[in-house]
Formats: sequence, C-alpha cells, structure tokens
Amino acid sequence: MKVEGGSFRGRVDWALIGAWAGLVLIGTVAILSAASPLPHYGQILQRHFLALGVGSLLFLLALGFNYQVFQDQSKVLYAAALTVLVAVLVLGQVQRGTKGWIRLPFFSFQPAELARILTTLVLAAYLDRRAQRSGTVGFVAGGVALVLPVLALIMLQPDFSTTLTFFPMLIGMLYCAGAPLAPLGATALYGGVTLGLPLLWTLIMLHPAWSTSSGFLDGFLRLRDMGGPFVAALVFIFAAAWLAWRLTLQFRVLVPPTSFAVGALILSAGLASAALVDHQLKDYQRNRFVAFLLPAADPRGASYNVAQAQIAIGSGGLWGKGVFSGTQSKLGFLPERHTDFIFAVIGEEMGFLGTMAVLALYMLLLWRMVDTARQARDRYGYLVCCGMASIFGFHLLVNVGMCLGFVPVAGIPLPLLSYGGSNLAMTLLALGIVGNIYSRRYAFY
Amino acid sequence: MSSRGTRFVERLDALWLAATVAVGFLGVRLLHMQVVRNAYYAEVAERQRTQIIAQAAPRGRVYDRNGDIVATNQPAFSLIFLPGKSQDPARLAGLSESLARELHRDRDELLDKLREAVREESAIHLAENLPLKTMFKLSELKTLYPGVDLIVEARRFYPNGAFAGHLLGYMGKIDRRAWRLLRNKGYRVDSWVGKAGVESRYEDILRGVDGEIRMEVDAQGRLRRRLGEVPWQVGGNIHLTIDSRIQKAVEEGLRASPSGQGAVVVMDPRSGEVLALASAPDFDPNLLLLPDWDEGRKGAATLPEFNRALQGTYAPGSVFKVIMDGALLQEGTVGIADRVFCPGYHTVGNRTFKCWEKKGHKSVDFMDALAYSCDVYFYTMGLRLKGPVIERYEHLFGLGRKTGIDFPGERSGNIFGPEARKTRKRGWYEGDTANLSIGQGELLTTPIQMAVVAAAVANKGTLWKPRYVKRLERRAAKPEEHASAVAGRVELRDDVWQRIREAMVHVVKRGTGQRVNVPGLVVGGKTGTSQNPLGEDHAWFIAYAGRPDEEPSLALAVLIQHGGHGSSAAGPVARKAIEAAFDLASAKPAGVPAEGSLIDEVPPERDIERAAPLPVKPPAPPPAAPPAPPAPKRVVTPRPSHSAPSHAEDGDIYSEGD
Repeated sequence: MKVEGGSFRGRVDWALIGAWAGLVLIGTVAILSAASPLPHYGQILQRHFLALGVGSLLFLLALGFNYQVFQDQSKVLYAAALTVLVAVLVLGQVQRGTKGWIRLPFFSFQPAELARILTTLVLAAYLDRRAQRSGTVGFVAGGVALVLPVLALIMLQPDFSTTLTFFPMLIGMLYCAGAPLAPLGATALYGGVTLGLPLLWTLIMLHPAWSTSSGFLDGFLRLRDMGGPFVAALVFIFAAAWLAWRLTLQFRVLVPPTSFAVGALILSAGLASAALVDHQLKDYQRNRFVAFLLPAADPRGASYNVAQAQIAIGSGGLWGKGVFSGTQSKLGFLPERHTDFIFAVIGEEMGFLGTMAVLALYMLLLWRMVDTARQARDRYGYLVCCGMASIFGFHLLVNVGMCLGFVPVAGIPLPLLSYGGSNLAMTLLALGIVGNIYSRRYAFY
Repeated sequence: MSSRGTRFVERLDALWLAATVAVGFLGVRLLHMQVVRNAYYAEVAERQRTQIIAQAAPRGRVYDRNGDIVATNQPAFSLIFLPGKSQDPARLAGLSESLARELHRDRDELLDKLREAVREESAIHLAENLPLKTMFKLSELKTLYPGVDLIVEARRFYPNGAFAGHLLGYMGKIDRRAWRLLRNKGYRVDSWVGKAGVESRYEDILRGVDGEIRMEVDAQGRLRRRLGEVPWQVGGNIHLTIDSRIQKAVEEGLRASPSGQGAVVVMDPRSGEVLALASAPDFDPNLLLLPDWDEGRKGAATLPEFNRALQGTYAPGSVFKVIMDGALLQEGTVGIADRVFCPGYHTVGNRTFKCWEKKGHKSVDFMDALAYSCDVYFYTMGLRLKGPVIERYEHLFGLGRKTGIDFPGERSGNIFGPEARKTRKRGWYEGDTANLSIGQGELLTTPIQMAVVAAAVANKGTLWKPRYVKRLERRAAKPEEHASAVAGRVELRDDVWQRIREAMVHVVKRGTGQRVNVPGLVVGGKTGTSQNPLGEDHAWFIAYAGRPDEEPSLALAVLIQHGGHGSSAAGPVARKAIEAAFDLASAKPAGVPAEGSLIDEVPPERDIERAAPLPVKPPAPPPAAPPAPPAPKRVVTPRPSHSAPSHAEDGDIYSEGD
C-alpha cells in the first residue's frame, strides 16, 4: 500500500485529520451561508464554533490514551450509555415532539449521539470476547440483545431517525466479525418486514380505490389492527411453514426442520413489530413515506423539501452560484438548509466541484477508517473501526441519497457538515478513537 | 494480521467496495443533475425566485379636433398579491379578513382569489385605482402579510367627466371568455379592456404594451429586490373629429331639455366629419374605474348605454317634409307659386286627416307650407306625387339603411312605402300616402340619418358616410389620416337644392324654427313633432348653418325623445350647437395662415380645422328672435305676417280620422 510509506508511517494519521478538517471547513462555510438569513444566526454560529472547539479537544483527548481502556471498561461504558439515555428521559427537553435533549448552561446535548459511540465500543468488546463462537446463532443473538436496551430507550424518546442509525452499525459489525449469514439474513428479513410493511400500508392507503375494490388488499390493510385478520395471518404463516416442511419431506429435500419454525417466527415477529411501528409513526413521518413513494402527489407538502433540494443542487451547475449567493437557500426555498439539507446548499453554492470535493473527502475519511481497521493491532480495534465506518457510510449514503431523492427523508444529518453540536463533537470523538487505533497499530510499539 | 485474532477483512473489503460503488453512483447522479441537466434546474430555481408583476401601460390618448384631451391616463395605486412558495395557508384567511375590511369587499370572495393565486403561482391584482386614504391603511398590511404590495399603474381618466360617454365608451375588466381569445395578445385575466365606443372599437390602437417588473421574492412571497423591468409602451393616440365645445354645448342642451332624453348629431357637411355626437341620458365613464370593479360591473349593468343617436329609431314627422320638398320640385309636381287651401283638415276617401293647425293655414304656397309645416299642403301634394315616388326618395336620401358610421350597433330604421309593404305582404292605401307625406306611419329614422340628410341639403346632394376619427397615431407607425367617404349622392337639380334651402331658411326666419335664427349666419332648418304610440311626441330639429356668401359649414339633427314640440324642445339645443360652433370660430386666433386666402373656399378634405366658419361677429342675443314670447296672438293668415306665430309648432296629426 502506497500510503504506508512516508509520513503515514508516523503515529498521527494526517490524512484522516486533513479529511475531517476539510469537511468541517466546507461545512462551516456552508453553515455560515445557509444560516445567515435566520434570526438566530449569531447563536447558531456561536454554538457551532463551541461544538467545533469541544470536538477538537475530544479528538485530541481520544488520541491521547490507549483505546484498549475502552475494551477493559466496556461494562462501565455500557452502564454510562444506559444512564445518559435514562437521564434524558427524566431531565430532557421536549423539542419537535421528542425528548432527546439535555439542556446545559451553554448548549443542549443529545445523549443518543454519545450512546451510539459507547454502544459501538461495547459491542466491539462483546464481539471480540465471543469471537471463538462467531459462527453461531447465539453470537448474533447476543449482539442484538446487547443493543436492544439502548434502542428501546431511544425509541422511548421517541427518536425514530437515531434508532435507524444503530442498525447499520449493528449489522456491519456483526458481518465484519464473521457472523453466520443465515441469522444476519434473518435479522435483515425481520428489519425488512418491520419497515417494509408500514411502507406498503402507506402506499395502499394512498390509493383508497385499491383496498375497496380488492378484499385481499383490504384484509392486508387490516393486519395493522392486531385483530382477526392479524391472527389469521399468524395462523396462515405457521400453517404454510408446516406445509412447506411436509413438502420438503415428501420430496426428500434435506432442510433442517428448525429453519421453517425460525422463518415462521421471524415473519410473525416482523408482522407484529410492523404493526407496532405503524401505530407509532407520526404524521410527518408517514408524510415522508408518502413523499418518497409518490413525489408528484403533493408538491407543496412533504415532497417539497426534496424537490427544493434537487432544484438547489441542479441549479448549482459546475462551479456553483458562489458562497452566500444561493437563491434557494438565501430566499428560504430550501428547508432545513443548515442541518439535514446542508449538502444541497453546498451543491447550489459550490457546484459540482463542491459536491465532488465533499464526496472525495468522505471517501478519503472512510478509506482511512477501513485501512485503520485492517492495520489495527487487535480485533477489538478492527471491530471499532468497522462500526464507525458503517455509521459514517450509512449517514453519507442516506443523507446524500435523500438530497438526490433516492431515499425517503429520514432526518439523518451529514456528519461534520450539518449544523448540530452534539453530532459534530461526538463525530470528532469517534474519529479520535479511530486515529488512536491507527497510531497504536503495531503490536510491539 | 491473522496472528492478532481471526478477522474477516474480506467482508470489510466487500462493504468498502459496496460503499464505493454506491458513492460512485451518487457521483454520477450529481454529474447528471449539476452538469447535464443544469439548465433545467437553473430555470426552475430562477422561475421560483422571480415574480413578474405586470404593470398596466397607459392607453393612448384621445384628442378632439382642436387637440384638447378627452381621454388620458392617471397614475393609480394597485394592490397586488404575490403567492409565496411556503406560505402558510392559514394566513390567507386573516389577510382576506383584513382586506375585506379595508376594501369593503366580500371576505370569501377575496379568499377564493388569494387561494387561486397560490394555486396558479402567479401575482394577482386585488384592488386597483385605490384612493389615497385606503392606500395608507393598506401599506400597513404590507408589513403584516408577506406577499402584499402596492404598485403604480396607469389608469384611464376622462378629464371632462360625463362627456361624450356614448362615443368614447368606457373601460371594464376583461371577461373570462374574451380573455381566452385574447390571452396571447398580452391580455391578463385582470386586464382592463375597452367595453364600448371608441375605447372598444380602437382597442388595438389605444392599448399599450404592459410593462413588467421582475422582482426577487422569497419563499414567503415577500418582495426582496427589483431584478429588472421591461418598461411599458404607451398605446397609440386617436384624434377625433369631435369638437369638444360643440359636444359640451349639445350635451348641456340635452340635459336641459324637457325630457332629458334625446340625441344630437352635428356634422360638417363639407366633409362628413362628426363634430358632436351625443345621446342622453349619458354617463361618466370615470365611474366605472372605481377601485372595485365589482361595483363597476353593477354600474355597467344599469348604464344608460342605449345610444339614441345611432340606435334610436323615430318617425321623422315634419322633418321629412324637407325630403318631400325635394321630391315635389324634382318631379315637377308643384310650382313654387302653386297654392293649396288649408281648411285645417283634408279628406281622403272617407277618412279625414287633420292639419296640426286646427283653424287651417288658409292659402299656402311652397315656401309657407314648409315654414308653417302645413300638413294639408303635404297631404295634397303627397297624394299627387303617389306613394311609390315618395318611397323612392326615402331611399334616395339614405333612409332605411345604415349611414355606415364606423361604430358598433347602428340601426337602419324603417322604410315606409308600397314596396316595403309589399315585401310584408300587405297592401298600400291612399291614407298611407297621406301619413307618409308628413313623415308619419311606419317610417322610422335615426338622428344620425337625419343629420346626414341635413348635410346633404347643405352640400347639395352628397350623402356622407359619417366619420369621427381624424387621425390614428399607431405605436411605431406613421399616423394614419382618415379620409372622408361618400355613401351616395342625391341627384337633384341645382335649382331644386336652392329652393329647398331657401325654404329652410324661411322656416328659421319666419316660420316654426325662429328660435334658431342666429344673426349674422345663414341658418336653414326644419322642426318636427312626431307622434308616437308610447307617449309624449318626439321633438325633432334638423338644420344647417353657414356664414353668408359661403357654403354651409354645419349640419345637425336634434331629437328630444318625448320632448313635445320640435321648436320649443329641440330648437334651443340646435341653437346652442350653432352658437358653440361659430363661437369657436371667433374664439380661434384669427391669424390663420399667412397666405391668407381666408375668403377662398378651402378644399373640404384638407384643413378641416381651418375650415370652421370664420368669425363674423360675436353673436349677441338676437333681438329679432326672442326665445319664447309668451302667449302670442294667433295670426292665421295664408301669407305670414311679420309677426309670425312664434308659437307655431308642428301639428298634431290624426292619421286615423276622428
């Protein structure tokens, strides 16, 4: 590897620092521009630079001591993660319908951001400890069980978007830890049913004619009510599994009988949690689904944001309209422009060159994480890097995909670019840990 | 590496590869959006940040023949609303509430309008031509509600108020159906358009090209700054042949007339130019330009739009005797000196036709017959002439067909005679001939037809196609002079014309038309009092006037609907018109051209302005023609004495005997 020569051989990963510094620079410029018409401009800048300072300190701090401490103290970290999440439920401020913020003298703090990093460290320690049994179902189940309490506490806030970011971390780390594919697939199936069914129901509800003309679709829609059709569906699933098992016996195809039972169980559980999720969905979240499914249905409603983001990005052209000159962001057409849609502001004001620079720096950052994972002195470091890289990659793909209209609006920020103090500080903390793993990559250092 | 524990680096590499592919895909999409499709998105972004506000351009001015402005423009403030991209629909209700209070309009209607603007994403005019006081109140709304703004526009203004309303027409909001046809000519849904008269007929010339202000708006619809503008282009001007002084005089006369209903047409017999065209009751076209067009629309519904000068048809009554005179002399039916004895009635078969003078005019000749409007003379002569001949002369003088004035809605009237009867499959009787001889029966004429007849007498036979436009000044084109057009000629011998004119002068000097005897001028005229089944008689007066030793320069027809007697009701209006016309000449600076051939006859086509009658003398109230001496003694002599019956009016006639 070319980069292992020269200055990269040292303790400090300058490429990593350069990448995040570049992203923070672009992000800061974009925030300066995007937030300028807002009434709390001064306050926003103040908080941003405060978070940047705190984050830089955390980055240096995380570089400073051996990361293996985290592995030793994983129980403490786990307890800390649960504590802050309980604390926010007790002390938290309600903002936009979720109780996710703790108010501190100078700023508000979002404990879920910290909990995600702590959970990554704890999960890495767990997976490392159980590495000998990585091929078993119990390995996967243990990982999931470890994360579930954290997810449950966040769901209680309730913060659907943040919960979502735990899944790629969980799946990514399990996958990279060598978990068997069947349970992973089962987990993916469960997740797919849980999220896919509400999506399907929303789509059917958008077309009332479908369900009135078709008894089947009507019954399908009534699965949500957990009543008769729900029970009938459960009975049907198990009957179908039993039938399939009998058929395989008949044709002398050798399939372990447990797989049918597990499959039926997963489908049932998915159905149940899907119904639960559907009940929990808030109107604005359902609207986002609608906007994603049928962008043309309501141009002034939920899909307005995405449409405006696309106009902003597309109108930026090759060179952009110039910083502070974007009409989409300056005149207020682009909503959430300094937070979730900061990428659209960059696209508008800095053009294709700006968006390409962002993607390139992100890929550099991701590559530094992947490379650090490869070179890490121990499996624990490897797993931590895999988790961080999964979180990063997921944020990047979902946020940019959202701005381009590929993904429903999920409220996922773009780390290092979006305005958001907790996220910025915690992201820098995470990068500090990755840098730490890199600097201690040689076992006999 | 494997020494440091089992890892699954190939799995990490697979994830890394997947991420690279996904990001590469995003990059390609960005390339497509930002570079390939940049023009499209840039246009969308540009469109939603700019709001084009149309600014109504000033319409062309309308001038009278002397260059006085009769229709122009005024700056006016309009309230506009610019729908914003992310405007809160709940605020529209509040806005409509506030606006309804200030503008005295229906709240729901305003709300509908605002909603439509939001739906169509285009700026609309909420109110126009705002009074100053309302404007200040509304400018406060500007700060409360984004999207509301005030702009300056040009609004039609008629400086003379209620003046020539029927001729000029008025302005109104374009209706939806017309807009669909005209939208590609630059009309907007809320454009104003000429609704009648000159405003409508010459809409294409008068209309300017509206200006555009390109404003930058934010997502709330607030105006941020001016990006640029396309200045408006003023519409083309129109110079009318109307003389506003005559027009004013006749309108005053009509308003002062007994019934307040009627029409006047004044023409220049040398060119066919209309000098005044009035119909009463009339209206002030400014009233239709009030801030609230809905109110204006209500006003328009009750507008006295009926233009009696062109659309009203009336039996000509004794005015027709001028045409009868032409027929009698031309056909040789009667000699100047032939006398008829008028006992006050005339018997045709078993029916008795009365003269308006119950006591009879005794012995009357050609001149007296017209001067005193002796019905018996015309019964007798008409019966000699026979119906078909009279009918031919009706046609000859242009009755029964439109004069061809370029104005919408003109009516043709109705011919009365054996041929006309035949087409309706009805017979013709001697009694009809008697009725026709005094202009009664089914004969119907419009005031403008009679003005053309009067002009034909004044110019010895030319039937003009009347016109009211002198010059059109189109935008970016050479001025277009309108030339006179002849609709036909009445071919009578010169001595016949001479006789008719003498007889008409006699009417004014000695007979029923003495009220119009303006000293210093040669005035010929004829009164008429036409019976009608609807009520009081219609009063007519047709006349021509000119300076001595010159061809007549003025011809007119006055009709006062249900006004009573021609002399007392229509006469004063005619007099006013003549006085105004010749006043005008004296008021004009005498220093006309240096070549100074003032006495020479000016060619009728050119120099129409100068061709107005030359100053003679300021016409002091003529002692010879007292307006209305009360209770004159009735002198009924075959030959008029010097104290002619100033009360002499046209007679009541009884077409159907006792």
